[in-house]
Amino acid sequence: MPNRRRFLVLTAASLLPAAGRLVRPALAQAATGHASEFVKSLGDKLVAVVNGPGSDREKREKLTQIIDSAVDVDGVARFCLGRFWRNASPEQQKRYTELFHQVLVTNITSKLGEYQGVRFTMGRAQQRDDTEVVATVVERPNNPPTNVDWITSNTGGSPKIIDVIAEGTSLRLTQRSDYASYLSHNNNSIDALINAMRQQIAQAG
Amino acid sequence: MRAVIRRHLLVITAVLLSNLGGCATPPPADDTEAVAEFKETNDSLEPTNRAIYAFNDGLDTVIMRPAATAYRFIVPPPVRAGIHNVLSNLGTPVQLSNDMLEGKPRRAGDTTMRFLINTTVGVLGLFDVAKEWGYPDHDADFGMTLALWGLPDGPFLFLPVFGPSGPRDALGLGVNTAMDPFTWVGQGVAVRALDWSRYGFSGLDQRERHLDDVDSIKKTALDPYATFRSLYRQHRLAQIEDLRRDKRATIPVWFPQSGAPDTVIYSPAISPAY
Repeated sequence: MPNRRRFLVLTAASLLPAAGRLVRPALAQAATGHASEFVKSLGDKLVAVVNGPGSDREKREKLTQIIDSAVDVDGVARFCLGRFWRNASPEQQKRYTELFHQVLVTNITSKLGEYQGVRFTMGRAQQRDDTEVVATVVERPNNPPTNVDWITSNTGGSPKIIDVIAEGTSLRLTQRSDYASYLSHNNNSIDALINAMRQQIAQAG
Repeated sequence: MRAVIRRHLLVITAVLLSNLGGCATPPPADDTEAVAEFKETNDSLEPTNRAIYAFNDGLDTVIMRPAATAYRFIVPPPVRAGIHNVLSNLGTPVQLSNDMLEGKPRRAGDTTMRFLINTTVGVLGLFDVAKEWGYPDHDADFGMTLALWGLPDGPFLFLPVFGPSGPRDALGLGVNTAMDPFTWVGQGVAVRALDWSRYGFSGLDQRERHLDDVDSIKKTALDPYATFRSLYRQHRLAQIEDLRRDKRATIPVWFPQSGAPDTVIYSPAISPAY
């Protein structure tokens, strides 16, 4: 029955590309599913702390833990210094990165009151280059709903947040242009930036 | 009283004029990275822009922010939402004209359906029923239309009262006003009063919606001016990318779809430029 065999082979061959097409989105879906789960659990944790009981200081400690475990803060810090990172001495890089951690936590905790009663809904997740983009809608009292995309990267082995995009505006790009402008108006002095950051943390106290 | 106001205006004008023509100093040509950054920032009128920013900031601190805070305090959230919806519904002619000039039939259809549904079922635009029925709102203005036609945004401009802009978006703002039938329809005290209360409520509505965000930016940014500049440009870029990517077919949802892609390829509008 050569005819039958040929038929089978042909059928199998014609199915292969289709199978390949089925497998590949499935793989991508698995990856983005992972990212979705990660963002969902991170969001749940953040909402639980923000809306939960406890003093501001306790909340600050909890938030610091969550941020340090879920966000690639060192990477974001380096990105935000842009071209000035290479000009900085190792000592300056170290001090800047430490301060950046504190500024990030301070900025987030200073919004605790404003975020009281926050809710979020999950949107779709998409693969984009080597990152996954997870869309959410964040709703807080008194404010219109905001589209927030979480950019996660797996390069370090476990998923980490590398950027947050609110209504099309990237947190790290905005921060970088803030620092770049500050530096260009202060003789490109990294020490001046470090001092300004220190002052900012002291003021928020 | 009037003399005092006039003197203040004179001082403000003098300050603005003395800064006009003030151009940003480009970095030395041998520092190529700094030069690249200077070009990307594209803010050749920075000193003037900063002066206008300071002027607007003062205006905001004294008038707009307190007014918006009072508005939030006095008017309960559902009423504010209703006012926002009515204002948005009144923007239909401008939105629809731009949807059509952009050649986006599905957007024009959304706008038309939103107007028909919200004006009737939504009681003169008070309730956004259309959104629940599958006709979401979108942004449309002549600045975006020009961008889609290929006009670049140009150097950054900070406009008195109106805030961050550029030559393209400033032109868009003017054309939007000219496109608006309410600019031309009717005359007399009553119509003018209605027009001005619409502008007033628009201002209050917009400012109230951004109270928390603006406060937190001013608190956390080392250079708020540069931060607003970056945010404005990123937001415009994202709006224009959304518009460009909106290639929904004109076939209704209930009709058998042929060849219409069911997924939109997602790429957030990130440009390393800012």
